[in-house]
Amino acid sequence: MACTRSIMQRKRSKTSATRVLAGCLALLSVGACSSLRNPPPKDPEALEDYKAANDPYEPLNRKMFMVNMVAYKFALRPMGKAWRDNVPKFFRNTVDNVNETWGQPSTFFSDVGAGKPRRAGDSFMRFLINMSAGVAGFFDVASFTSYRNHTTDPGMTMGVWGIKSGPYVFLPGIGPSNFRDSIGYALGQALVPINYVPSGYGLIDFNWAYNILGDFNNFSNQIDQLDQLEHQSLDPYAFMRSAWQQKRQSDIDALKADNRATVPDWY
Amino acid sequence: MMLRRLTRRTILGTACLLSFAPSLALATPATDFVSSFGGQLAHILNANTSTDKKYEELLPLLRKNVDIAGIGRYVLGRYWRVATPEQQKEYLKLFERVLLNAVTNQMGHYQDVSLQLLGSVPTPAGEKVSLIVRRPHQPDITLTTVVAGTPPKVVDLYGEGASMRMTQRSDYTAFLTRNGGKVQVMIDALRHQIADNAASRH
Repeated sequence: MACTRSIMQRKRSKTSATRVLAGCLALLSVGACSSLRNPPPKDPEALEDYKAANDPYEPLNRKMFMVNMVAYKFALRPMGKAWRDNVPKFFRNTVDNVNETWGQPSTFFSDVGAGKPRRAGDSFMRFLINMSAGVAGFFDVASFTSYRNHTTDPGMTMGVWGIKSGPYVFLPGIGPSNFRDSIGYALGQALVPINYVPSGYGLIDFNWAYNILGDFNNFSNQIDQLDQLEHQSLDPYAFMRSAWQQKRQSDIDALKADNRATVPDWY
Repeated sequence: MMLRRLTRRTILGTACLLSFAPSLALATPATDFVSSFGGQLAHILNANTSTDKKYEELLPLLRKNVDIAGIGRYVLGRYWRVATPEQQKEYLKLFERVLLNAVTNQMGHYQDVSLQLLGSVPTPAGEKVSLIVRRPHQPDITLTTVVAGTPPKVVDLYGEGASMRMTQRSDYTAFLTRNGGKVQVMIDALRHQIADNAASRH
């Protein structure tokens, strides 16, 4: 019995730790591979571009990107397409809903950290409504109310606090990020309560299933965008880096500027 | 007395009309331009015609309303000066096709669209005009166009918070840097890209 519990505990800790470890290891390996750092160019105009890209570890990041794209081309894309074409939309939506609802505590704490009470209230209410009326998050009932879904993560909160992003990194399996947001990603995982569920009742298995299915579902929704990226850019890596960095900054700016009152709009 | 009543009615009526149409009061030459250009674009995209026909109709519309040469020069960055006049000319010709392909490749996602202007903000790069693109059975999209010059033309487009011309510039300059700054290599790559696109369209 004790042995079974010990195995279950190990399995449980793996759930949250795997993703965190993946991010941390990738970060450490970036630091260790100083030879994979791009030296700043001497030409002033080239130096300007170098600074704008904020990607001193570009040689290593490009390798990681290539690994990702090979996995995408030969395994993930065909599997993602099969998932999208064969699994009913209703079921795919349910997977999305469960992921969104069970991740709300992370959004809530990030909103609180950023000092945005209206957003925090929205995520709190969404969690409450979808966990009860939405049957543990399987149905997105909250979207029928005025509590709209939004995204805030610890990386964005740190951005609002004025913490610099640090260099750009491309993490296999996770995608574009930077030093600050990689730490934010790990913190975000730590703020999801299901990662701490007790053993038994199949909750650990449920956690694994919803995490894997959720990531897979998210990925399958992005297949068209990734295909377009490959066909319409000369350097997909640089295109993705620039688009992601701009989007990220725009999300942080929007979070900073969100000073809505906590009372409802009609009040 | 009659005149006074008329004046009062006129003022009240006008105030009432303006309160129901706030966008009317906020209209600027840039928002008028975006509204007109967007309307023409939506008309072509919504029409029940073949892709080739739409392709033919879009080119003159884009030439008239988008500063293709200005965006093209910006996108090439420091390599614009490296290119010979012939290469610059050839590149701009190809860039026009790339832009057109970018629009036509998205046509499937923009059927039966309607546009709603949100407002405008002056910036050093030009006037930023934001609009919502409403699509049936699909999520709305918020876009921001940057309009500048006389006559007004679109000089940039923001989607999901990212500037189109800045993203394209990162793409092209990274490609050129990795290819020893040889503009001809990029021109050849663009030619391939356009040919591939044409083949996949037919």
